[in-house]
Amino acid sequence: MGVQIVVFAVCAIVALLGALGVVFARNPVHSALGLVATLFAIAVLFVNQNAQFLGVVQVIVYTGAIVVLILFVIMLLGVDTDEDLDTEPLLGQRWAAVIVALLLIGGIAGIFFVEGRGEAVTGQVAALAPIVPGIPSTDAQGNPTTAAGVDTFVRALPAEQQQAIGEQNITQIGEHLFTDYVFAFMITAALLTIAVIGAVLMARRPKRYEPMPELEDTSYEDVDELSTTGEVTG
Amino acid sequence: MSAGILATMASVAQTGIEPISGPIGIEPISAPVDGAVPTPEITWAALLPLIILGLGGLLLLTLSSLLKRKAPRALYPIWTIATAVLAVASVVPVWAKVQGFNSILWWDFRDLWWQPATTAPGPFSTLGGAYGVDGFSLFVTVLICCAVILTTLLISGYLQREELDGPEPYALLLLAATGGVVMAGANDLIVLFLGLETISIAVYVLAASHLRRAQSQEAGLKYFILGGFSSAFFLYGIAMVYGATGTTNLVLIKSSLAESIPRHDLLLLVGFAMLLVGFGFKVAAVPFHSWSPDVYDGAPSPVVAFMASAVKVAGFAALVRVFVAGFGQYAADWQPLIYALAVLSLVVGSSLAIVQTNVKRTLAYSSISHAGFILIAVEAASETGTAAVLFYAAAYTFMVAGSFGVATLVGRAGDGRHSLDDYKGLGRTNPVLAGTLTIFLLAQAGVPFTVGFVAKFYAVIAAVQAGSAALGVVAMLSAVIAAFLYLRIIVAMYMAEGDDGGSDAPADPADHIHVPRPAAAALAICVLVTIGFGLFPGWLTDMAADSTVVLVEQGSTDASTALPGGQTLIVDDEGNLVPAGDGAVAPTEASDPSADPATGDGAVEAPQVQDPAAAEGTASVERP
Amino acid sequence: MIAAVLHTVLASGDAAGHAASSFPILPVTILLPVLGVFAILAVPSERGDLARLVALIATSAAGVMTFVVLAQFATGDAGFQFVSEATWIAALDIKFIVGVDGISLFLFVLTGLLFPISVLAAKPDHDPKGYYAWLTLLMAGCLGVFVALDLFLFFMFFEITLIPLYMLIGKWGHGRRVYAATKFFIFTMGGSALMLVSIIALAYLAKAGDASTIANISFDLQKVVASDAVSQGAARWIFAGFAIAFMVKTPVFPFHTWLPDAHTEAPTAGSVDLAGILLKLGTYGFLRYGLYLFPEASITFAPVMVVLGTIGIVYGGIVAAMQRNLKRLVAYSSVAHMGFAVVGLFALTSEGLTGSVLQMVNHGITTGALFILLGFLYKRRHTYEIDQLKGMQKVAPVFAGVFTVVMLASIGLPGLNGFVGEFLVLVGTYLAYPAVAIVAGFGVIIAALYLLWAYQRTFHGEPDDATKAMPDLRGSEKLIMVPLIGLIVFLGIYPKPVIERIEPSIDRVIEHVEAEVPGWSSPTSERGSQLAPVEGHGHDGEGGEGATHAADTEDHSSEGESQETGE
Repeated sequence: MGVQIVVFAVCAIVALLGALGVVFARNPVHSALGLVATLFAIAVLFVNQNAQFLGVVQVIVYTGAIVVLILFVIMLLGVDTDEDLDTEPLLGQRWAAVIVALLLIGGIAGIFFVEGRGEAVTGQVAALAPIVPGIPSTDAQGNPTTAAGVDTFVRALPAEQQQAIGEQNITQIGEHLFTDYVFAFMITAALLTIAVIGAVLMARRPKRYEPMPELEDTSYEDVDELSTTGEVTG
Repeated sequence: MSAGILATMASVAQTGIEPISGPIGIEPISAPVDGAVPTPEITWAALLPLIILGLGGLLLLTLSSLLKRKAPRALYPIWTIATAVLAVASVVPVWAKVQGFNSILWWDFRDLWWQPATTAPGPFSTLGGAYGVDGFSLFVTVLICCAVILTTLLISGYLQREELDGPEPYALLLLAATGGVVMAGANDLIVLFLGLETISIAVYVLAASHLRRAQSQEAGLKYFILGGFSSAFFLYGIAMVYGATGTTNLVLIKSSLAESIPRHDLLLLVGFAMLLVGFGFKVAAVPFHSWSPDVYDGAPSPVVAFMASAVKVAGFAALVRVFVAGFGQYAADWQPLIYALAVLSLVVGSSLAIVQTNVKRTLAYSSISHAGFILIAVEAASETGTAAVLFYAAAYTFMVAGSFGVATLVGRAGDGRHSLDDYKGLGRTNPVLAGTLTIFLLAQAGVPFTVGFVAKFYAVIAAVQAGSAALGVVAMLSAVIAAFLYLRIIVAMYMAEGDDGGSDAPADPADHIHVPRPAAAALAICVLVTIGFGLFPGWLTDMAADSTVVLVEQGSTDASTALPGGQTLIVDDEGNLVPAGDGAVAPTEASDPSADPATGDGAVEAPQVQDPAAAEGTASVERP
Repeated sequence: MIAAVLHTVLASGDAAGHAASSFPILPVTILLPVLGVFAILAVPSERGDLARLVALIATSAAGVMTFVVLAQFATGDAGFQFVSEATWIAALDIKFIVGVDGISLFLFVLTGLLFPISVLAAKPDHDPKGYYAWLTLLMAGCLGVFVALDLFLFFMFFEITLIPLYMLIGKWGHGRRVYAATKFFIFTMGGSALMLVSIIALAYLAKAGDASTIANISFDLQKVVASDAVSQGAARWIFAGFAIAFMVKTPVFPFHTWLPDAHTEAPTAGSVDLAGILLKLGTYGFLRYGLYLFPEASITFAPVMVVLGTIGIVYGGIVAAMQRNLKRLVAYSSVAHMGFAVVGLFALTSEGLTGSVLQMVNHGITTGALFILLGFLYKRRHTYEIDQLKGMQKVAPVFAGVFTVVMLASIGLPGLNGFVGEFLVLVGTYLAYPAVAIVAGFGVIIAALYLLWAYQRTFHGEPDDATKAMPDLRGSEKLIMVPLIGLIVFLGIYPKPVIERIEPSIDRVIEHVEAEVPGWSSPTSERGSQLAPVEGHGHDGEGGEGATHAADTEDHSSEGESQETGE
């Protein structure tokens, strides 16, 4: 459990800091990068819960596709300040980045040698305990079952069951999507349709497009600047 | 925190709450990996209203893209209304099925389409237990369809006046209604959340749909951001409840709460609170109301009619479904929260309403106070309370749609003339319109012989029956405060300065407001309902009383196994568990003046229960 | 003319029985003005005269119906007559059930009399169509309140009277009309808000309905009266809820502040109906829904009410004496007169209660007449200020004469109707609270003081220029006053036909109170039993209660003393 909690704590902090960065960063690109940090940290949390499939999908879809799309849009609309690649705002940050990246790769690689299969990092223990019937919750000494204990137990199972456990993530998600959550799955489609219609409606320019003259309305003083810029936002 | 949740889930699994086909089930090991997974049975007929509404919206879009600009102007509104009417019609056979009769008038439903699994009459659920079909969800479905029809009638003239013609608002209305219907019947918190998002996103866009009006854009943005915020709370609440019970299915949550006490009670209670925050935002209850005056003021007036009717109705329907039916076991824990929300909404809503100078803002605050009224019926957590919620929601739908319908017309081109000054002299220039608005305002104030009075009356009955007479007193006193605001509008229309004696002079034709025919039809419907059900409320009260909310597992239609929300079981003389009758519900709080055990009402009902020992034997089992 | 009709009616009343009870006369009477409203709405708005005619026909038709009810009323029968019943909301056991007894009969008839007169007495200065529509609707509400025998129905009618009067004051009133109208509306609605909760609590706790209703709820007055399920403590709270509504409406001393404003700013017809009919809703409510439903609570709170009523008498008189506006003066005199009705009511003696009902009727006639006269005055001089009026007696002798008669009736001069009610009230109060009766007696003297003083200032002296141009009463105005003056004199000389119809129902109420509250007996119970018919008729609403609750009584004998019927 120890490693799991550390992973959780680190990722949770990263996710929160990233979210704060999205809100408070002045540069839209920084905001987008903050979003990447948040989404990535959440992906790690998924993996930590033994939901490897979700973790991967999270990275591919959100970090890989959506944020990249957002970044494209930001870039196409034009970033106000030109980036100066020659000067480093923070001295030595590039070297620091390289060192941290190497450490990370080394750490991940190291885990596989230290722990054998890496269940501890991926949090398989906690998730397996309720899934696989018969895993004792405590060992002979009355201590909670360790990762190694679970590992031993699972290895003792017949081959096809072991395989089933390995495949559970994807099969389970698939099955649930088409049984318990088939309705939710269908409504999601409707939800996306609405989002598309909404986007179309908001982006549509009316035939006669000029802001309405402001009516004398005492209760409404701070009309925002949307109308003056002429931009339609959604 | 996360570790705590994990531990809870593990402990839940170990303490024997076996999540039936929950996300951590065991089936995959026994099931063949390559074999077909049994898909849930779907009772299509019961989903017809949903399908008609959703498909209607999509076909409308398809049609519009095929016809481009050649489409006649009346096509979209007529299409929308026809879709909604069809959806209402498709509810009828399902209603008959749920209520257990075979035909309505000449329409015989036997051997029509029922699948064998659900041949027995009574409420049932479908789609793997994710969607419940009971009187409650059907009633709300019809209400939402009514709101769609009224809004369509109002918005068609509005779009023409504001030169905003297009198919999108109609499609969004229909899809929003789909979301509302999903919310009304959702037996699964995930499904509920998706329904909530469907109706919300559609309404965010509708609120911002007046592209040339900055206030409309700002309203849409404000609504979107605060709505998203509330959705986050709601989702977090779902996660908490899931953590405590191991499932998102309301039926399973209910049975799991009934069978055992979760070890992490706090998780559950925090989940309740989070869900309530989410619902509080949606129904605009104080202190989660701050968005509503701004949004109501800025959004296009017909859209506000929809927001105040359909969105609120759906929100309250889901609230009742989740809390009264799903968490009824824990009523004692969440009732105080609802109590506080109700009191705050009533008092703050009506007090702040009287200092407004803008009619739409005034109505927004009055709508907050109406939400408080509905909350007192929710707080009762009883069958009467549920019926009162439905009755109030039905009454309010028509009253508020009518009020904002008039506001749409008085707002004139630009939709900006909503100050009280703009209503001055309306009684002279547009007597019929002013009279119509007067009826809606008086109905909202709760004047007798209008449906608004019966609604308030019903809600107070529910409160008194639940032993919260004090809440009823607060509600009625706040209704008096609220009456003042309605009077202000009436004063502006009829008794404004300069109206003395000079009103026999012919009205200035420039002041006359053009009323498009569809809008006139909408207002006529609202007046008919407001007065008609005010004079003869019997039919509507019966319908509301029949529309009980029942949580049933899929495959089971036996209503007796699933008790309606809030009902308790008592042990009878033979030691069997039997549902307690309304009269025998144990006196809850000392606030009920009748709770004096010696002279209490229970003794009159059952004279044999006079021996203290026997009385203990029949003590109600509220939480095992 | 109407007086003549009344006389024949009263003479033949004894012979008539329940013969016509199959015909739903009461619902029809209530419905006639409603139909009139629709007819008025159909009139084009520029035809004000036609609207007035329709209103007159509708109100008169309803008025005639009330006199038919009076003619066919069986004297000596204490129970409810002309009962019509129809299910309204089955799930809550709410019924449309109406009926009259001696208590409501004359108030019902008074409504039928005053409304046609108020239609005739004054014309609105603008928008006549709306004016007559609201006035006619007000009549329907008032008629309904007095005959409703279902708590829900009563509340509906009680509340609905607010809207027309609000519109009448707010749109057709004088000066600060919007302020006055809003104050009136909010005060009364505030009171009735509590009453609604009380009604629901009562209907729920009484559990008088059968199993088909929600939680055995029932709003049927007679069933609720017969139920014993409400505990003593609950009954007191519920009574308090009712009492506040009625105290605001009556108005009893601390809740009276809306009345002078409303009266001063109201148009003539509004004032007439407000003073003549609507104030009676409060005292009538106390009798029918306070005393009848909550005997024990009424006895408990009676001293408080008597004291408040007495304060109202004295305070109203003193404040009236200081007024410079005639309408305000009459309004405060209303506070004093209604104080008499309250004191008599809560003296809980047969004389006091009968006097109280009589006082309600008399006050309706005299104050109504006073406001009509003030309306005539306003039409001529456009003012109610005492300072601006002087020496009218010389210019308008007929007006002064009529005013004198009405004023003397209001003071309570023997031989005119005001005396009978106040005398009975004072006698009844003396039996229960001698000291209060003496203090209240001063109220009569104060009334003489302020009215005569006001008369002296406005009618005596030398007329100024504006007064000299003032015409006397016209023929039509005289005609309007004839029935009222006739009644003032008739009821002052020969009140027996009225009293003998009121008294059985009053005695029935007192019997009911005595039966419900063991150990209490009305200070007049000996005389009361003499007057009351002996057949034991008074148990329409109470039958069967003993049997139902016998089992309870045995086991809760300790509790039984305070709340059971004392079998």
